[in-house]
Amino acid sequence: MIHLGHYLALSALIFTIGAAGFLARRNVLVALMSIELMLNAVNLTLIAANRFQPLTPGGSVTDAAGNVTQAAGSIAPLGHGFAFFVIAVAAAEAAVGLAIVLSFYRLRKTVRSDAADMLRG
Amino acid sequence: MTNSPVTLVAFAFLALLALASAVATVSFRNPIRSAVGLFVHILALAGLYITLSAHFLTAVQLIVYVGAVVVLFVFVIMLLGPDAEGISDDRGVATRALGAGGMGLLGVFLALTVVRLDVQAASRPQTFGTLKQVGEWIFGEAVIPFEAASALLTAGMLGAFAVARANHKKVSVTGDVATATAKPTGGQEG
Repeated sequence: MIHLGHYLALSALIFTIGAAGFLARRNVLVALMSIELMLNAVNLTLIAANRFQPLTPGGSVTDAAGNVTQAAGSIAPLGHGFAFFVIAVAAAEAAVGLAIVLSFYRLRKTVRSDAADMLRG
Repeated sequence: MTNSPVTLVAFAFLALLALASAVATVSFRNPIRSAVGLFVHILALAGLYITLSAHFLTAVQLIVYVGAVVVLFVFVIMLLGPDAEGISDDRGVATRALGAGGMGLLGVFLALTVVRLDVQAASRPQTFGTLKQVGEWIFGEAVIPFEAASALLTAGMLGAFAVARANHKKVSVTGDVATATAKPTGGQEG
């Protein structure tokens, strides 16, 4: 059956594909999309790890008749929260990155990353 | 839920779709096809989030990624027009095969390392992954990072605005750098 390892393996593969694309592609737009792939892979890891976390047992509850029962266990949504912040950062990164691409294109009339050599001395 | 055959089939289908679309994203020459690959990849991941009971994150993924990030990419590709494709890759087949093979081996090695982590899911608590639970965490424990995220988004928006609207006609590109450009930016409006 599906367990945590399957999700982590899938996420590792997606991350590697994104890293390969970022390293190999010379089109800045595709490099930015590869960064999105890597961020998505990390999100998948966080959410999967959160789901497969063991239950935190709930405290014992005494009802009106005096019977002591165990409250339902819970899992804190820490992975979900982190993934939420990763998505927020990814959105800001995409906006700034694409603005830089537009600005770069206006300067050099290309989106090839090797054309970005204006800083060399 | 994670032990039903439906989940098994859903996981297999969505995982293959996510992998195939990720490969498509990085390998297509035309960036608009890469953007479509990214779109399919994000939809597949949203499906995987459902199998992990992350309902809120599924909605956020669809709204923010499909609704904002992919649309932004498509917008920029449309703005650049045919120039978005760039010129073809002049590296040889051997170099590319070596790079792709090396990264592939690394990925398979990483995947084989973690796939043995056989942790079964605990029974899902009723409230897990719901908007209420994640919202209570965000506005309770994480309220300061949440406010910082809003500051980050504002700064990102202003930064994107400043960078994209900068008037590059005043920038003098000198020396051998200028020879590499197609032509100086004459009459080019932003």
